[in-house]
Amino acid sequence: MSFAFDAYVVSALFERSGRAVFALGDGTVRFETGETVEAHPDAGLLAAALHPSGEGVVTGGDDGRIVWSRASGPTELGALTGGWIDAVATSADSGLIAFASGKRVEVLDAKDSLFRREFLHERSVAGLAFDAKGRKLACATYGGAAVWFARIADQKPQTLKWAGSHVGLLWSPDGRFLISAMQENALHGWRLADGKDMRMGGYPAKIKSMAFLAKGALMATSGSHGAVVWPFRGNNGPMGEQATEVGYDESALAVRVSADSGRPFVAAGLDDGRVWTADLRGVGVTTLKADKGPPITALALSPKSDRLAWGDEDGGAGVFAIS
Amino acid sequence: MPETAPTAIPVTVLTGYLGAGKTTLLNRILTEDHGKRYAVIVNEFGEIGIDNDLVVGADEEVFEMNNGCVCCTVRGDLIRVLSGLMKRKGRFDAIVVETTGLADPGPVAQTFFVDDDVKARTRLDSVTTVVDAKHVLQRIADSREAREQIAFADQIVLNKTDLVSEGELSEVETRLRRMNPLAPIHRAERAGVPLETVLGRGGFDLERIQELQPEFLNPAHGEPGHVHDEHCGHDHGHDHSDHGHDHGPRGHAHAEAEDIKGVALSLDRPVDGNRFTAWIDKLLAEKGPDILRAKGIIDVKGEDRRLVFQAVHMILEGDLQREWRPDEKRWSRAVFIGRDLDEAALRAGFEACAA
Repeated sequence: MSFAFDAYVVSALFERSGRAVFALGDGTVRFETGETVEAHPDAGLLAAALHPSGEGVVTGGDDGRIVWSRASGPTELGALTGGWIDAVATSADSGLIAFASGKRVEVLDAKDSLFRREFLHERSVAGLAFDAKGRKLACATYGGAAVWFARIADQKPQTLKWAGSHVGLLWSPDGRFLISAMQENALHGWRLADGKDMRMGGYPAKIKSMAFLAKGALMATSGSHGAVVWPFRGNNGPMGEQATEVGYDESALAVRVSADSGRPFVAAGLDDGRVWTADLRGVGVTTLKADKGPPITALALSPKSDRLAWGDEDGGAGVFAIS
Repeated sequence: MPETAPTAIPVTVLTGYLGAGKTTLLNRILTEDHGKRYAVIVNEFGEIGIDNDLVVGADEEVFEMNNGCVCCTVRGDLIRVLSGLMKRKGRFDAIVVETTGLADPGPVAQTFFVDDDVKARTRLDSVTTVVDAKHVLQRIADSREAREQIAFADQIVLNKTDLVSEGELSEVETRLRRMNPLAPIHRAERAGVPLETVLGRGGFDLERIQELQPEFLNPAHGEPGHVHDEHCGHDHGHDHSDHGHDHGPRGHAHAEAEDIKGVALSLDRPVDGNRFTAWIDKLLAEKGPDILRAKGIIDVKGEDRRLVFQAVHMILEGDLQREWRPDEKRWSRAVFIGRDLDEAALRAGFEACAA
């Protein structure tokens, strides 16, 4: 199944039911079943995440609005004046929705329309991530990350410092590590228990995408000529360990990854438009999209890892069945 | 060389201190009938807002890069806003960045060379600095940012010329040219300059380095060594006392602003390519934080093509450009604009590159 949407694909997601959804730069949300929702009319859509209920997606736009789009239509969850909402995170476990606009982060509860928390930062927030239970919210800024208890109103965040600009965040499933993708071509990690720093470098390009797989034993990232896979076994995580590169191909860069949280199975989207999957138990790389084209900008494995949705910079998109 | 896609969106940067006339110029760019749609990145929403254009606020957050290069700073807000704009491809044809009066232009420009995504999708066209004729000397005296904005410019709009005398204008132009010998100065009232003097300049485009104007190699009027010739554009008949205080190697009246100046170098003999490369690499590694802009056209011994380069702080781009024409004088020239430049050392280093 493939689509030509004629707008930048910001995000590809699967609803809990297994239906694929695409959030586009032109402000629309498209369902693979054919519905189009005008989430941000006459505006741009900058970030998207699955709604905590598992139905529909929550998007932030350059109109300062945060919108929940289901196939039946859009619902505005919040609005700010003057700012862009360029980071969104959600948690199915806690039912919380977080979004960032400049230095401000707001948290909403999908089940309680009166709930609202606001966390202010000294620098603009570039990335958000809930831990696995959705209790803690990490916010990436210049100079480090701030970790907040997402439901608590008055608090001082735990600050994890590291020089440089932090752009994207990911928690390890056990909540022991927080990984940051930096403005430079490197990852930085913190062990929460003692704040120990981990530097993971050697990347030829910026890391735009990260995912844990195999029950948290491995983490895959983009930013190289294949998917980079770091071991996370044991107390020290990747410290002192070597990463391996899966699907190495010098002619292209992996720009998006998606992975099976349970099995050692990873998918990658490349900057030349190709898409592949790999079973790390040794079956090797299976190319699903061999046609080259615009860079892949969105990639998602379905909850059962039986389908893979992708989208590219020019609005090409599709869904593959994985055998 | 950066691999800039042919579809890269041109970006024009407008700088200038508060009240100089930036917003007036911006509004002219947006309202003139040119058929282009702009995305405008501003720090404060002022008196702008044209239906067909996209206006975005940004916070002027300067980030140091973690690469051990002390002057390698970028504007984090620009990276975020530009990456957001790239998700709306087709909505606009060009981008204008209006900075505040307090902005350092270095990080703005470096953003376009340092961030791979920005570099792949956009192309920094040029930096225009708007100054107002009546107050610019005072701003030069009291504001480091104002000095750097002038020194960094690809072109300077000398605005509000109706508020000062011709004599004062000449003095201002002399000061501006000494700080930035590369930037043409366009006199204007109410920022009324033809837009082609501001847009589509290719100020960072190596292919567009065709000529470093000879008059810029001539010390500014009133400077020691200045040669009055047809390029000078100065009315030689009138009383020179207007700018008499500018004479002498260090004009005492403006000593506070002497930290920034342009140094023009030239060489009639061909240059040894390896020696020149080693020299400029070392120069930018050591003095890069103080060198705001540099441009040059080099005659390399044994090479039929012109070696051209341009630099922003430590970021150097160079390439072999077109062939020297048979009727063209082959010579090397370079201009460095920066803080506390040791002109004698620069000249000695450059001349030592002779083959």
